[in-house]
Amino acid sequence: MQLRHVDAGSCNGCEIEIAQAFAPVCDAGRFGARLVASPRHADGLLVTGVVTKNMAVPLQMTFEATPRPRVVVACGDCAVNGGLFAGAYGVAGSVHDVVPVDVEIPGCPPEPSEITEALRRLTGR
Amino acid sequence: MSTAAYFIGLGAASAAALLGAVLPARRRLLAAAVLSAAACLAALVGAGDVLVSGHAFSVHTAQVLPLTGVDLSLDPLGALFVAATAVVGLAVSCYSVGYGVHATPSRIATATLPAFLATLLLVPAAASVATFMVAWELMALTSLLALLTDHRRRRETRDAAQWYAAMTHIGAAAILLGLVLLAAHAGGQSFAAIAAHRRQLSLPLTSVVFVLTLFGFASKAGAVPLHVWLPRAHPEAPSPVSALMSGAMVNLGVYGILRVGEDLLGGGEMWWWLVVAALGVVSAVFGALHAAASTDTKRLLAYSTVDNVGLVLIGVGAAGALAAGGQQALAGLVLLAALFHLVNHALFKGCLFLGAGALQHAAGTRDLDRLGGLARKMPATAIFFGAGALSISALPGLNGFASEWLLFEGLLQGFASRSAVTVAALLAGVATLAITGGLTATAFVKALGVGFLGQPRSEGAGAAREVGPSMLIGMGFLAGGCVVLGIVPGVVLPVIDRATTAGLVAGASRAIRPGLGLALASVHSEIDPGLLVGGLLVALVVAWGAVRLAPRSAELRSPRRAAAWGCGRDLQTARMEITATSFAEPLQRVFADVLRPDHDLEVTHTAESRYFPEAITFHQRVDDAVERVVYRPVMAAVAWWGHLARRVPNGSVHRYLAFGFATLVLVLVVLA
Ligand code: SF4
Repeated sequence: MQLRHVDAGSCNGCEIEIAQAFAPVCDAGRFGARLVASPRHADGLLVTGVVTKNMAVPLQMTFEATPRPRVVVACGDCAVNGGLFAGAYGVAGSVHDVVPVDVEIPGCPPEPSEITEALRRLTGR
Repeated sequence: MSTAAYFIGLGAASAAALLGAVLPARRRLLAAAVLSAAACLAALVGAGDVLVSGHAFSVHTAQVLPLTGVDLSLDPLGALFVAATAVVGLAVSCYSVGYGVHATPSRIATATLPAFLATLLLVPAAASVATFMVAWELMALTSLLALLTDHRRRRETRDAAQWYAAMTHIGAAAILLGLVLLAAHAGGQSFAAIAAHRRQLSLPLTSVVFVLTLFGFASKAGAVPLHVWLPRAHPEAPSPVSALMSGAMVNLGVYGILRVGEDLLGGGEMWWWLVVAALGVVSAVFGALHAAASTDTKRLLAYSTVDNVGLVLIGVGAAGALAAGGQQALAGLVLLAALFHLVNHALFKGCLFLGAGALQHAAGTRDLDRLGGLARKMPATAIFFGAGALSISALPGLNGFASEWLLFEGLLQGFASRSAVTVAALLAGVATLAITGGLTATAFVKALGVGFLGQPRSEGAGAAREVGPSMLIGMGFLAGGCVVLGIVPGVVLPVIDRATTAGLVAGASRAIRPGLGLALASVHSEIDPGLLVGGLLVALVVAWGAVRLAPRSAELRSPRRAAAWGCGRDLQTARMEITATSFAEPLQRVFADVLRPDHDLEVTHTAESRYFPEAITFHQRVDDAVERVVYRPVMAAVAWWGHLARRVPNGSVHRYLAFGFATLVLVLVVLA
């Protein structure tokens, strides 16, 4: 499972946790999950943060650029339902307002183990 | 038959020049082009006959030149150069029709191109010192005139022409001095007489003659440090002229070295040829580096000519050194490879220069940083330019690969030589071949990638259209030649071998075994590019068929079209593309000591705060280090001397009378 990470407007808390999910303690990589540099190489997107107005179109384009079949993982409360920033200035909505979401990882921020858990459900390992 | 065909060729080219000068504007272009194409065909037939049969012809007439008469003779060595010129000339003649169609060139411009062609065909046939020098100077003059075609519109053209004129005439003076010295001591000025008397010449004399003529011929061939005219003249000359200069004229420098060094002086000393090889090594590396750093298409091509001439000189030098060391068979092989590379260079560089002309014609600029996206607008030009670029980068299946392979093979086999100096020289040659191969590939990936792919970087490039059929035929002809010689190099090698035999004194023919591919006779080493390409094609067809026939899901059967991935930016402009300058930057950084780029970064700040820039401008120039280090001081010294000398004749009649009086007294004193 190769994922392209998209920061749609996060506070970067989620990013730190994602980095930890791929660090030696949890090591999501050993379950077959990988972060890649281009949506062209990806099986899906790993989206963090609320979708800001500026990032709505790029998120849409990244989604379009990912080959089918593809999954979208919304990581963190902001991505799932707006979280802390729901309805704030400059916010277009949560991820499912812009692209269809397949997997949700709640938490502000979710713990590395929770992220790994969700990714393992995707990779089936 | 060869005599008649050759002279018909010369006559037709001269007639083309004449018609170009006298016919009215609408007809002269076509008439000159048709006649010069016919001239090239006839010359090709004549030279081909000499090459295939191996019989030289010679003609002497007491007319035309007073006192000495004219001696013309075409042996296989000369015929090879005539043939190469004729092939390039044929393409150029065809191309020039379309090239001149929009702005009809002046009478002089129309006339000089065929005249230049005629002199190019004439030089390799000259068989006496007087004839050779006259032909050589005619070639210099006609090429200078041809270079000046656009002098009204651009200042740089005049500047380039001055450089070219100075370099070519210093060279011609050296050649004249050398050949006259030779003729005076050899008891005759015809080449045959000189060759017959060469045993009576002392070694110091022949060495002086060789060094003098080498200087002159190397300046014509564009060997570093005498190359400075090339990167100036080529961009400024009209493309047909640059194609002829690079595809045919620089060859004649190599011809001269071979003719004088091997044919007239009989091979001489080993150090002569080591000097030639050293010139080659320096030229190849320097040329390739500058080509990789250039952003002007034609400047890039000019430097790549310096590079390729360097490769040929490495071959010529190594062959001479091996022959002087007694290894005739190997010398034959290396010289064969060098001459083959020279022919190939004529083909692909001709094609590339014509392609660069098409770009300039269509997009209005030669600057790679302003081109881009032309592959979609000019597909045929892109294919032909691509064929040339792949050939020059020596990719298998194209002619550059064939000759570089042969050259590699020849040089590597010389490692068994007993002389340590030769082995060291060959080693340097092999290393040079390797490094220039990489640099050339970089240069042409840049030319092809930045020039033809991506989005257009300027309005001119955006509005470009495919060029007309005559230009395409011209380019296609040469590109086709690259492909054919790349796939079946074996068909021309026996012919070039004959020229090699004529070029080396103790000729060593049969360096290769007959066949379509490349097969060496001396050792077991062969490669067949035809099989290689055939196999590749079969593999492609099989892969394509497998993809088509494999069972696929519904999703895959109806492919989805999506826009090119642009990192999610919704505004994608051509300014975000990589440019030729940025592509060359890493390399330039590595070789900063040789290339010495000049940077100039200017940042203007907003009035409110120094932290916010308003505009950033960046300029970069990569000047020729040789020009800066060697030529500028010499020119400054000459200018200083000129200023000093101007003080002497200050316009005062009294002073002049005093000079006259002093001279008279001096003469009387001397005589008394
Ligand atoms: S979910 Fe929490 S940690 Fe993640 S982006 Fe939103 S606010 Fe930051």
